[in-house]
Amino acid sequence: MKTVLKMGASAALCLGALAHPAFAEDNIVKIGVVAAESGSFVSAGHTLPAGVGLAVKQINDAGGIKVGGKTYRLEMVKRDDRTDIATAIAATQELVRDVKVQAIFGSETHDFTLAMAKITQPAKIIHFAGNSTLAKILTPDSVKPGGEDHYLFQSEPQEFQRSGSTARGVLTLLEPLLGYKPKKSVMIVGNDATGQFLSSYYYKALKAEGQDVPDIIFYPPDTTDFSPFLTRAKSLNPDIIHFWYNGDSTLTALPQALELGAAKSYFLFGVDPGIWKEKQLSADVPVAMSCVPVCWGESSNPKAKAYFDAYFAAGAPHGVTSSVSLLYHDYVHFLAEAWEKAGSFDPDKTVEALLTLHHQGVVSDDLTFNPTHQVTHATEVCAAAPGGAISCSMQQPPAEAPKS
Amino acid sequence: MRAVDIFIQQILNGLSIASVITLIAIGVTLIFGLTGIINFAHGEFLMIGGIVTWLAVSAGLGFPLAVVLAILAVGLMGYILERGLFRFTLERPTNGFIVSLGLIVVLQHVVVLFWNPNQKSIPRPLTTVWEVGGVRIASVRVMVIAITIAVVALSFRMITASRYGRALRASVEDRDTAALMGIPVRRYITGVFVLGSALAGLGGALLIALFPITPFTGGTMVMKGFAVALIGGLGNIYGAVAAGLILGIVEGFSAGYGFSQWTDAYSFALMILVLIVRPHGLFGGTSGPRMAS
Repeated sequence: MKTVLKMGASAALCLGALAHPAFAEDNIVKIGVVAAESGSFVSAGHTLPAGVGLAVKQINDAGGIKVGGKTYRLEMVKRDDRTDIATAIAATQELVRDVKVQAIFGSETHDFTLAMAKITQPAKIIHFAGNSTLAKILTPDSVKPGGEDHYLFQSEPQEFQRSGSTARGVLTLLEPLLGYKPKKSVMIVGNDATGQFLSSYYYKALKAEGQDVPDIIFYPPDTTDFSPFLTRAKSLNPDIIHFWYNGDSTLTALPQALELGAAKSYFLFGVDPGIWKEKQLSADVPVAMSCVPVCWGESSNPKAKAYFDAYFAAGAPHGVTSSVSLLYHDYVHFLAEAWEKAGSFDPDKTVEALLTLHHQGVVSDDLTFNPTHQVTHATEVCAAAPGGAISCSMQQPPAEAPKS
Repeated sequence: MRAVDIFIQQILNGLSIASVITLIAIGVTLIFGLTGIINFAHGEFLMIGGIVTWLAVSAGLGFPLAVVLAILAVGLMGYILERGLFRFTLERPTNGFIVSLGLIVVLQHVVVLFWNPNQKSIPRPLTTVWEVGGVRIASVRVMVIAITIAVVALSFRMITASRYGRALRASVEDRDTAALMGIPVRRYITGVFVLGSALAGLGGALLIALFPITPFTGGTMVMKGFAVALIGGLGNIYGAVAAGLILGIVEGFSAGYGFSQWTDAYSFALMILVLIVRPHGLFGGTSGPRMAS
């Protein structure tokens, strides 16, 4: 009996050692991820754990992080919010209270993040989300020390910046392909909180570029047959139909639009050229695409190819908006650098470090947070000519929001 | 584009929307109306039909063969699930309803596990687009409409004119008496479930011919399928077809001329109105079978 017990104890010890060969339990820093790995928002959602997971692996492979004289290994703890806000809230509570994560990334669904912040912020958990909607709550008052969103960071540019650079890029790239200056645009947008928020900015950005926008056509989320909406758009005789949100729906709608001959050109928001190539899509009219923020499959950013090679090699699925992963990947490295600079995991010292650092990421060589915890960087826009040639360019954001 | 062309185009759009909804509604109306099984996972059966078609086409098979495989695979799945799960819930339909809710999650996650959550699509089986005046007619949509008409006609004839259909309708009227008359009621229930499942498999195959699908496509479709089945009258195939057409046209026109974001709301408002004014549906139907004692 004693022999059996000894063998059991030895086996348990061996298994324990195998689980974390180089680090003791107290040298592990847990990072939480809440994302839609199932449900309707999955195409953007699954990029989040994939991007964070890659960064965690890169950091650990490089020896972990050194904070206060000790070396720590990062561990990602992910939870699927199933594109359901109640699940996202429950997952956040679990990660904060039970798992005791040091930071949380997510969710990619804008209104979910606002609800999650109500849990992460009182608990002083550093929280990153690639949602421009956060501008609603990230104010000088709310982010100051002691403010209710002091530990919350927006890893996507402000929406007037993203919309502004995208609109300018789309019009600039489509004009030579059309052979004339496009004048009339119709927007087709998913009717949810994110779609309504984003489209209000993009509409203003198009108007600021001199476009006549006679209609914004909202469609119910989960729509598959877009023909009635496209026929309505066609009746307005647009130069460009802008499928502004979201990527999966856009790829469903485009073939139907081409079949109906709904416009002279199209713009697909949040669709990487990589998926365009992989699915062997083609069009008899020019099609522009934008990435959030740097494109997979064709990019003017020299670091993009190496990043996406590593991203897919780590097992990430080839999704419509794989580029969304970059709204998270860079910020894991950024956060690790901040912890090292702060010499502590203390959330207040970490925030201080995050606000002073200039991080060299894939998206930009100089990623910084402004005083209201928001980043600014360019957005990449590409255009496929009829026949298939794709060209891309980085579009810098406008300095300020359009007046109106 | 002239206003009249837009109008005709919207009618054609509505017809093709109606086709797939009608196929799923016929499955729902047969299973719910004739057997009493409330299978909310019927949309996932449709999704599985689409996935089987995608797998078959990706493996190099032609679309017609892929459709046959989808029908057989989902029909077989229906048989296994009816025999293995739903038959134990026949006397407690609420249990069956809960089982079907669980099945939704299970089937979605099985597909995600093996084939990831991303969109799946196949090349259009027919690519010709005819232009008549200012109206564009896609041949693939015409194919879907034609197949739906053929399947509906066949199902209608089977239910109304065949010996099997008569026995089935007798089982709905009074299961005990039908059983005493020698009708194998339980076997008929299995048969209806398999038929409804196979129709969902066909619906999924036709759906992926038109649009990309995801593991989560079934949810919206099944809601519309139930709405059509209830508007038309449970167990009434003719009613399901007519209600499918009404719903398709309502959706097409509301997206084209009304508040487009309310498209789904119009359909379900219509369903609520019909259920209040005509509880047995616009064209009359069963109120669900009485449970076997």
